[in-house]
Amino acid sequence: MTERIGLFADLHSNLEAFDACMEKAKELGVTRMVFLGDLVGYNADPGALIDRIAEMVADKKAIAILGNHDQAVFEDHRHQMNASANAAIEWTKSQLNSSQIQFLKDLPLMVQEDAMCFVHASAHNPADWNYITDSMSAWRCVQSSGKTYTFVGHAHEQALFYQSAVGKLIRFTPHPGDEVPVMHHRQWVAVVGSLGQPRDGNPEACFAVFEPELEVLTFHRTPYDQFTAADKVRRAGLPEDLANRLITGK
Amino acid sequence: MLINTDIEAVDEIFQEGKVVDGFVLGTEVHRGGMASLYSATKEGIDVPILLKIPRVGRDQPVESLIGFETELTILRSLKSPYVPQYLGSGNMATRPYIAMERVEGRPLEDFIKEGKVFTIDEVVKIGADLAQAVQSLHAQDAIHLDIKPENILIDDKGKLTLIDFGLSHHARFPDLLAEEMRKGIGSAPYISPEQVTGIRSDYRSDIFSIGVIMYELLTGELPFGNPQSMSGLRKRMWAQAFPPRAIRKEIPRWLQEIVLRCLEPRAADRYQSATRLRQVLRDHESVTLTERADRVDPLSFWENLKRMFRAAGYEPSPSPRPSVGNDDAPLMIAAIDTRQSDEDLRERMQTTAKNLLQAYPESRLVCLSTIASTPTFEGNQESETASGIVRGHLVQLMEWAKPLKLPPERISYHVLEALDPASRIVDFAKDNDASLILIGASHKLPNKVTPWRTSMTKIVEEAPCSVHIVRT
Repeated sequence: MTERIGLFADLHSNLEAFDACMEKAKELGVTRMVFLGDLVGYNADPGALIDRIAEMVADKKAIAILGNHDQAVFEDHRHQMNASANAAIEWTKSQLNSSQIQFLKDLPLMVQEDAMCFVHASAHNPADWNYITDSMSAWRCVQSSGKTYTFVGHAHEQALFYQSAVGKLIRFTPHPGDEVPVMHHRQWVAVVGSLGQPRDGNPEACFAVFEPELEVLTFHRTPYDQFTAADKVRRAGLPEDLANRLITGK
Repeated sequence: MLINTDIEAVDEIFQEGKVVDGFVLGTEVHRGGMASLYSATKEGIDVPILLKIPRVGRDQPVESLIGFETELTILRSLKSPYVPQYLGSGNMATRPYIAMERVEGRPLEDFIKEGKVFTIDEVVKIGADLAQAVQSLHAQDAIHLDIKPENILIDDKGKLTLIDFGLSHHARFPDLLAEEMRKGIGSAPYISPEQVTGIRSDYRSDIFSIGVIMYELLTGELPFGNPQSMSGLRKRMWAQAFPPRAIRKEIPRWLQEIVLRCLEPRAADRYQSATRLRQVLRDHESVTLTERADRVDPLSFWENLKRMFRAAGYEPSPSPRPSVGNDDAPLMIAAIDTRQSDEDLRERMQTTAKNLLQAYPESRLVCLSTIASTPTFEGNQESETASGIVRGHLVQLMEWAKPLKLPPERISYHVLEALDPASRIVDFAKDNDASLILIGASHKLPNKVTPWRTSMTKIVEEAPCSVHIVRT
């Protein structure tokens, strides 16, 4: 059986979206999971989400990477985040036990294996949390990773940057469900999109599946019960706009 | 770019009698500038097979490899009776090849070179068949961009096949030829003005190329010649082709109308879908004749000069997605008053929307609400800022639509700022080509309230489409 890697980023304590995506990934025959950071923040189920991911990591079924919201749980990030994000981090801290916090502390900033690089924001100074939004930022990332395939999150919208003949990286907006050939003589940066807080106007959860042997990358969107997730955010006393964001996907 | 060039060995891998991934190579049937073609056989495949092998190596232009990669990506995804079936491919870095169905037929180019004179009926048939073949690509969000007689095969029965997708564009895959190539790649006589400027995403470029081919078959001449320079290529941005009827009198006026319309410099002035082009070719009674049909003389020097100056500011028309040409799914607008809370009316509107949506499985619903202008200052509370207010209304629209259980591709939500909600709704319907506006009118509101009546009347009077008023 060929390897199918499920790529999930910016999960942000959204258990409903997480469960829906795990189910879909299973259907798609995903053999291994990579969680590209920001496991927590914004939404209402940080503890449950960490527990599920920690179990998969312990079973060697998954690897997980550190994101800026995860780091904010044990380091001061108040000046880099907006009011709602900060409020959610404060609340998250109050919900986690010490072993859950330790799990976040132990997460690596970046993992490289074979032709692949996994990082939350950019392979270029990963601890600076630079967004990959245009060809320049994608180029810097590729230069630093040196890998054929770099998979990131942080920017919440799905995008695929591909290398042209002159080396420039061009942005492509993928269409969910289409298999995109990603041949290995070029370099690629895939922003897999946010699982737990999509922001492109479509509330469906984002993820991607990479098949290294077939050199195929497929972006996915999965519907989930965003109304329940939003209710939980409200009931937890988190800012109202965080609940609304889940419903609108904006 | 990191292209692994173990590729020197390619010539040794691909030789008659050798076996590559189960494909037994036969004779080399063609050797072109970009690729070599071999016949092949494979157990389990009962159609004749063609192996296309890119010509790679130090002296080859990088385009030949990118073109190969492009063709592989696009051919693999296409399903069309007018395109060779994809049968397999080899590793790009070590033994690149594409295996495809070997289609019967000769290139249209051969017939032209032999000096064949095409009858009017033959040209109309080829034009209509080409339009149909091209439509099958457009419907899959692909654009050929290199339609020329060399790339059109015609078999004994007249069936036509499009080949060579090395310069094609597919909206669902990264365009490897974007931004990086010299402008105006393609064959000089056949490419559209927008291709000359470097645009690769307009499906109406293929309609232009069909026009060039019909012109050539009818008159034996090329409408814009075969220019070798950029300035020569730019001429088609303003020039009018010499009227075909001035070259060959028997060409009917309606056919001249069709051919010249395909050759319009602005894509928006051509036929807007290959389907439409096919229809008019098959049913010429439906062609609206304009001055194009009556042209007999070339433009005067002064007229040409004027057009040339106008073209100095040539702006290509915006390119819609290829598949919209045949997208006829109706769009319905539900105008929802988020301020009022009449439960009966709400339920009735939801039921009506549900029924209408069921009747048209391809329809889409837009939930619309209007608000007075949002504050320009940024409030302290999220709910006081402009984005907060809009988001609040969006949430209400989404709650409204929740019981309809529509998949996201069939529904969208808009909160519009408007002082005059009625005109804003009407304008929105116009801009989006809506088929129906659904509004609710409650009896619980005092009927004589003037602003409300005015709004409703205005929408009914000015809407570009049907208006469905739901009453309780």
